[in-house]
Amino acid sequence: MSTAMKNCVVTLSGLIVATLFAFLFSHYVPENSGNISLIYILALITIVRFTDGYLPGLISSVVAVICVNFLFTYPYYELNFTLSGYPITFLEMLGVTLLTSTMTANIKEQAHMIAEKDKLLSETEKEKMRANLLRAVSHDLRTPLTGIIGASSSYLENKDLLPEEEKVAILTHIHEDANWLLNMVENLLAVTRIHDRSSTVKKTDESVEEIVSAAIMRLKKRIPEASVNVSVPDELLIIPMDAILIEQVLINLLENAIIHSQSQDPILCYVDTDDANVAFHVKDYGIGIDPERLKNIFDGNSYIGNKESDSNKGMGIGLSICKTILTAHGGTISARNHPLGAEFYFTLPKHP
Amino acid sequence: MNLKHEVLLIEDERNICNFIMTTLRTQDYKVNFAGNARNGLSLAASACPDLILLDLGLPDMDGLEVIRNIREWSNVPIIVISARTQEQEKVEALDAGADDYITKPFGTSELMARIRTALRRSNINGSVPMPVENRYEAKNLVIDYEKHLVTVNGNIIHFTQIEYKILTFLARNAGKVITYDTLITHVWGPFADSNNRILRVNMANIRRKMEQNPADPQYIFTEIGIGYRMIDNENL
Repeated sequence: MSTAMKNCVVTLSGLIVATLFAFLFSHYVPENSGNISLIYILALITIVRFTDGYLPGLISSVVAVICVNFLFTYPYYELNFTLSGYPITFLEMLGVTLLTSTMTANIKEQAHMIAEKDKLLSETEKEKMRANLLRAVSHDLRTPLTGIIGASSSYLENKDLLPEEEKVAILTHIHEDANWLLNMVENLLAVTRIHDRSSTVKKTDESVEEIVSAAIMRLKKRIPEASVNVSVPDELLIIPMDAILIEQVLINLLENAIIHSQSQDPILCYVDTDDANVAFHVKDYGIGIDPERLKNIFDGNSYIGNKESDSNKGMGIGLSICKTILTAHGGTISARNHPLGAEFYFTLPKHP
Repeated sequence: MNLKHEVLLIEDERNICNFIMTTLRTQDYKVNFAGNARNGLSLAASACPDLILLDLGLPDMDGLEVIRNIREWSNVPIIVISARTQEQEKVEALDAGADDYITKPFGTSELMARIRTALRRSNINGSVPMPVENRYEAKNLVIDYEKHLVTVNGNIIHFTQIEYKILTFLARNAGKVITYDTLITHVWGPFADSNNRILRVNMANIRRKMEQNPADPQYIFTEIGIGYRMIDNENL
């Protein structure tokens, strides 16, 4: 509806309602005519509040003054501008209208300004987050890229001088770094599956054991020497999720466990369930996690500025992406130390 | 083998092309190459390849169109090359007539395994007369189609009719991915509900009967969002 239409409707209905009330009032309490004006003033304020601009208020106040004069003051049903004090009534009503119009206009403008400011603020906040993410990503990408470029150029320049085993070592190194890059990119791509606006994912019913087995299979393809003990409940669990994303979370957790636990003991991956949730656990038997890091391990930027960041490359991004994925699913993710190592676990709701 | 298999590669990324062509040539395949769909289609018609490797992201034509076009006149095996997160794209390609897909990035061994499987299947179905498959064997699993008998480590395993139907369909297409829809249509008929929950339940039962650990299967693998793939038949 256009603003003009809305103004007309509000003004008309406000005046009609006020007039009806005034009629009822003067019918039942004829001796107190002062209230009639008050009813109109109330109507005026309401009209001004719910319309835009000054015109509706002005017109209403003129109409109201005429109505009071014509309908509710003696002589009834005729205009009489000679009534004593009439100009005062007129001026009063006009004054009230103008004042409220100005005030509501001001309030509206302020509300608008505050909303603008909030939007600007959240936009800068978003911009800041984006910049942080980009910085973290570029930092993480640069390390393996440097490795790949360095190794390949040294191979190209010295290929006649290098002994065979060194060539193999260089190529292995390139291969590892490239795989690591791929993992990183897959994580970033995963995030793009989450809708920007609503932060939700497209869920379909998936069988939990198939997700777990697919994750283990992909992990073994990437790290053939990985040793994982895996178990799922006897009961078949089918819950709604974006399977690709949950698989990604599992792979990230498993890979972290293998790379960062500094232990050869098999990793334990198991699923358990209660009435409302299904929980996936990834447990390693290694060095555990520094309690200081544990606090904000899912924040993603906890490692920026950390001198060791090059040595444990990228764990931060992977975990913060896990957190994003779980949040979009309405689930949770946590980490804790147990006596023999570290454990990551996440839950997914059984019902949407 | 005195005849080299001929592979047609339709791919626009020069680097990926080089790597695949080098790999295939060292494995003793003859490789033709087309950088776009138009050249690919004309080469497919003129060079009569034994197998086509097709990238879905071509500059001049939708990959699905290419598949449909080739399928109008040829049953040559087509393996689609696609990115990981595009499950829908893969399912559509398989439904359009592609034989299999391989996810970018892939290793040499994976690519070779897919190509071998596809070539073998085309020999079975194609003009070269081959003995009819009557037995499936992989690791400790044996399926005797004639006797309706499934054994793991020599122990007979009893399946329901539906389970047996699912299992044998996957086994006869071993090494190749079978989409949920294809499997449902084969087992329950063309008018079955495409909700794959019932398939999941049956698959869970099959796995509990024949896999030691359903979460780490040895025989039937899940391709998330797409379907199932059974381990290759060692009897062929």
